[in-house]
Amino acid sequence: MDTFSFLMQGLATAFEPMMLLYALIGVTLGTAVGVLPGIGPALTVALLLPVTYGLDAAGSLIMFAGIYYGGMYGGSTTSILLNTPGESASVITALEGNKMARSGRGGPALATAAIGSFVAGLIATLLLAFLAPHVVKLALVFGPREYFALMVLAFVTVSAAFGESALKGLVSLFIGLALAMVGIDQLTGQTRLSFGVPQLLDGIEVTTLAVAMFALGEALFVAAQGPGNEGAVLAIKGRVKMTAQDWSRSWKAWLRGTGIGFPIGSMPAGGADIASFLSYATERNLTKHPEEFGKGAIEGVAGPEAANNAAAAGTLVPLLTLGLPTTATAAIMLAGFQQFGLQPGPLLFVTAPDLVWGLIASLLVANVMLLVLNLPLIRFWILLLKIPQPWLYGGILVFATLGTLGVNPSPVELTMLVLFGTLGYLMRLYGYPIAPVVVGLILGPMAEQQLRRALSISQGDPMTLVQSPIAAVLLALAAVALILPMILRARGRGDVLAQVGQAED
Amino acid sequence: MKHALFGAMVAAALAMPAFANDYTIMAPASPGGGWDSTARTMQEVMQAEGISSNVQVTNVPGAGGTVGLAQFVASASGDPSQLIVGGYVMVGAILTNASPVSLADVTPIARLTGEAVAIVVPAASPIQDIKGLVDAMAADPGAVSWAGGSAGGVDHITVGLLAKAAGVDPTKINYIAFSGGGEATAAILGNQVTAGISGLGEFLPQVQAGTMRLLAVSSDARIDGVDAPTLSEAGYDVVVQNWRMVAAAPGLSDEQKAQVAADIEKLAKSAGWQKALADKGWADTYLAGADFDAQLAKEIEATTAVLKDIGLVQ
Amino acid sequence: MTPNGASGRRPDGAAFIIALGLVALGALLVWDGGRIPDKAGYSGVGPGDVPKLIGYALVLLGIGTAIEGWRNPGPKRAKQHPVPLLWLLGGMVVMVASIHTIGFVLGSTILFTCAAAAFGERRFHVAIPSGLGLGLFIYAVFDVLLQLNLPGGPIEMAIFGR
Repeated sequence: MDTFSFLMQGLATAFEPMMLLYALIGVTLGTAVGVLPGIGPALTVALLLPVTYGLDAAGSLIMFAGIYYGGMYGGSTTSILLNTPGESASVITALEGNKMARSGRGGPALATAAIGSFVAGLIATLLLAFLAPHVVKLALVFGPREYFALMVLAFVTVSAAFGESALKGLVSLFIGLALAMVGIDQLTGQTRLSFGVPQLLDGIEVTTLAVAMFALGEALFVAAQGPGNEGAVLAIKGRVKMTAQDWSRSWKAWLRGTGIGFPIGSMPAGGADIASFLSYATERNLTKHPEEFGKGAIEGVAGPEAANNAAAAGTLVPLLTLGLPTTATAAIMLAGFQQFGLQPGPLLFVTAPDLVWGLIASLLVANVMLLVLNLPLIRFWILLLKIPQPWLYGGILVFATLGTLGVNPSPVELTMLVLFGTLGYLMRLYGYPIAPVVVGLILGPMAEQQLRRALSISQGDPMTLVQSPIAAVLLALAAVALILPMILRARGRGDVLAQVGQAED
Repeated sequence: MKHALFGAMVAAALAMPAFANDYTIMAPASPGGGWDSTARTMQEVMQAEGISSNVQVTNVPGAGGTVGLAQFVASASGDPSQLIVGGYVMVGAILTNASPVSLADVTPIARLTGEAVAIVVPAASPIQDIKGLVDAMAADPGAVSWAGGSAGGVDHITVGLLAKAAGVDPTKINYIAFSGGGEATAAILGNQVTAGISGLGEFLPQVQAGTMRLLAVSSDARIDGVDAPTLSEAGYDVVVQNWRMVAAAPGLSDEQKAQVAADIEKLAKSAGWQKALADKGWADTYLAGADFDAQLAKEIEATTAVLKDIGLVQ
Repeated sequence: MTPNGASGRRPDGAAFIIALGLVALGALLVWDGGRIPDKAGYSGVGPGDVPKLIGYALVLLGIGTAIEGWRNPGPKRAKQHPVPLLWLLGGMVVMVASIHTIGFVLGSTILFTCAAAAFGERRFHVAIPSGLGLGLFIYAVFDVLLQLNLPGGPIEMAIFGR
């Protein structure tokens, strides 16, 4: 049988009424848990996986696929509405999405996230079905030096895109990089900045930092503005649905996000977070409305959300073709396979085609189900913003605590939650952007480790970094991204100065 | 929607019988890893075989299990219902992290499972056998890069032991640590490194698919269905097993210890456990009592020596 | 960037404190990086080198922040209200300090009540039962049904027996 007939067979199974019901339950449960502030998809999937244990292989897979997509979409809902991302990839969504929600455009923001996720999920799952064996060959070409070059590109494009003040953006980024140094150095086993606290040896958990800086920092900041600040957030202004302009600005961003997300997700050391960073930087550079970025630009939600979902489908490429789980969620999925006595590996497509194609068909069905369930629910989600502030923030903080305890039930972790929350408040107060801290924490160790691995392999010869064509191209792109805005700014400076002069008159 | 959610949760609740608490097993790692799946398999089998009516699993992740170990020693002392899962990785982590507590602070009960370490090269590599690889390392240790798990872990220790056995300075090995076997596998498949070293289970699917060549395994005898010599067979006196064990709380009376040991023996001999081992591809390396204590002491000594040789421990 | 009359020339006091903090953090990284034994191996970049680099960069950014604060006045900041801030932070701190002894339900009740108070809801006879209800609900769903290990205390013991 060829690929196509396998897929059709899988779809036929997935469209049985019972299977559709399982998919619906999965999507519903995933959304219900994923939507809780501060609880990311990995924790959602880990918590809900046992629910699927009682079912047969096909039913279990389809419910699992539903939980997976539901958890991811639920997570972006609260990132957008409440500015409480529960995982690193939603941090970027929160950036523009929450600004949109605050100005009453939560409906279009949620809609573009939902439809973008759907489009990206659909395309990426089809790419997975038809191209996985080829994509994985390309992904394996990426070694330490190529990853290092990719990280450099991400650093340059993302940090150039953050905030209004370059100095403040850099300060935030380097605070993140400094936090990233905490823990055992993986390459030599040396402890850094741990001060004898054993819980610090594994470094600072990204989810803890993100939840603290966004959810708690935000709550502290809003509270400190004193009573009578309820008017700051508009629940609904204008249409809940996307306008024609929203559509025309979104669809290209969805496609670009998919184009960035799928290959990066397929790389064994890639990841949805880097994909969402790069997509955001791309949209910011290509937009015709640069003045809206930082104030709620719809492309800034559409692109990263699509990239995030495409990357999630991309992580299945190494999982299904090589048996390599490259994310926490993929590792949990691996455990799900093992309950059927299956060891994903290079031969899985040959030894268990029905299961692999069943999973791919399930993903497609779950993806559709998610859209069907969530578009009508958007009206209901926006009402979250109408909950009176005392109850809303009380709930957010309790769930943030739950999310932190769920990842690591230790008093040290909770203490970090409070400390980083306070830091998040102070940074908001003095106008420092928050997202670069999280970016630094994620990219810092990756860039460092890949650099040192590359140099180790070449026995200390730095020329190795540019001797691979891919690495050289990526570094050249990074150089262009670094220098081009400088030239443009130098040329544009005259105009700006003139405007300032006029304003003073 | 609410009804579906509630219905599924009720279904989940009914599936779990409510018994009194008999054992609490601590997995000193995040959910999903090897120690966690050992603890959860123990939980399942102990309940199914009627060894204990109710078993809970708790996860305390961090620093190669030393965070969990420290918490276990502090909170479980004298309580015979508390168990902790551990393994060879912990032996190394206690040394490299300068952990304030060690395995001497708990009551080791039995070794349960184990896995040999495997040495592979990419299929396209010119190196055909383990001797070719070791000779290349002897000629220019820097030019032979090894991809494996974290620094000071069982993979790193095995390379150190192999270098020592082959007369190569262990501080000169070019070991490149990756976060776990998965990323290392990708680097090997992509021809980024000379050789790879990790648990046999991690590499076996790749070897079967013909994308990697298996050069040697670190077990004391050949493994059924695996076509590769042991390291000692190839002339290098190195035997390493990445074992997992279960330990009880410190400060137990002899009767309490005997009771726990009897329960664990019942577990290890049960049909359910044997089936679980077969399903997961784990080797049965059950060893208990004085034999296990002696074996443990010997391994701690050997590990300390090799970590000093590699230069990870002063 | 927006010159705002004569008072705008006054240096920004907060910027100097931030600058000091950045220099201190940078110095900490440089010190810690220097303390780590040099095990660069074949790569030539040791475990202490990157922390030192980041440390130096932080010191430079601290100096930059100080210069910027000297040259440009800080933007006018909205007045911060300390009372709600203290309610919220206090609730967090008490919850963190006590949750492992009093259990998840009581810990989250304290947090919820304090957070509600911070946002102006001081009717404790309403807030406390609401927080208690939320905590019980979460504990029942996540610990009892979904097997997530949450800290237990007297309430969890009495109701759920664990």
